[in-house]
Amino acid sequence: MAGLWQNIDYAAFVALFGIGLYIIIAKQNLIKKLLGLNIMETAVFAFVVTSGMADGGTAPILGPDTTGPFASPLTHALILTAIVVALSITALALCLIIEIYRHCGTIEADELKRAA
Amino acid sequence: MRKPLVALTIAAAAVPMLFGVASLPRPGDDAAPAHAHATALYIEGGARATGADNLVTGVLLNYRALDTFGEVMVIFAALAAVMAVLTPAAPGSGDGPGAGGPAGAQVSPVVAYVVRLTAPFIALFGAFVIFKGHVSPGGGFQGGVVLGALLMLLSVVMGRGPRTPLIPAAAARWLQAAAPMTFAAVALLGLGLTGSLLGFPADPGMAWARELMIIALELGIAIGVAAAILGVFLGMRGD
Repeated sequence: MAGLWQNIDYAAFVALFGIGLYIIIAKQNLIKKLLGLNIMETAVFAFVVTSGMADGGTAPILGPDTTGPFASPLTHALILTAIVVALSITALALCLIIEIYRHCGTIEADELKRAA
Repeated sequence: MRKPLVALTIAAAAVPMLFGVASLPRPGDDAAPAHAHATALYIEGGARATGADNLVTGVLLNYRALDTFGEVMVIFAALAAVMAVLTPAAPGSGDGPGAGGPAGAQVSPVVAYVVRLTAPFIALFGAFVIFKGHVSPGGGFQGGVVLGALLMLLSVVMGRGPRTPLIPAAAARWLQAAAPMTFAAVALLGLGLTGSLLGFPADPGMAWARELMIIALELGIAIGVAAAILGVFLGMRGD
């Protein structure tokens, strides 16, 4: 497993992803589930941005006196898009949770299941 | 008996991922696919072709502008869905906000004073992030979020209820649609100038036009994002 040791930061993002997955599965509170989803998203963002890193590289901002190497701008732009989509998902999910609370008086998944 | 099942599920998801990442190229490796192909071309000629020294902005608003068009549509659709989902609290129901202070809570005068004191500086910072987004870190989305946070702060401390919102409702509708409308306008402008949607004029003498189009997109995105964030916040608060 020499490859895993060399890619230890990727392994850390897998661990972060696992933490988010655990929260989604094991917690009953809908807001905690949403937090877990956000942690999983963060793991994916960090993974993709890290894959665009360059050794000794700087931010990909060119100018009169900048020299390479530069980090990949493509991964940064992709993740910028993904962050905005994640924000939209979070906003919509929070509003749905607010409506669920107004109608059912609880946001615990097991209580909702029992009431149904 | 639930816990082992959860652990098993997570292990089943994580172990294949660990095997997968173990075989990836080292992060920072120059030979990795992330640095070949398109990325190499972007770094080579991106600043000249897009009118933005910040290559992330260049990729976002020029090379992949159609993706970003879709992205602002996602924000707009999310805002529309939020407005459709959140029915305003029934008037006269005791716990509805807007009766006393905003959200039913009294804001400390110290907090209100400090927010008013810092508001111009926050607005200035937001504008800086928006307008320098093509030559320095920043851009429409980031600056728009700064402005949106400022509007949220102000709508908390200014003590205005649903009757007199910070932005009049008629103006707010247009501002919330600013990002998709700006993109559509620039797309049609590109169609007129170059014959392709969202096309940027490639002529070296037209650098000013490319820069102007980037700034217009940044400004539209920023206004749209700020208004959308404020709209979601006010919707959640029950205004």
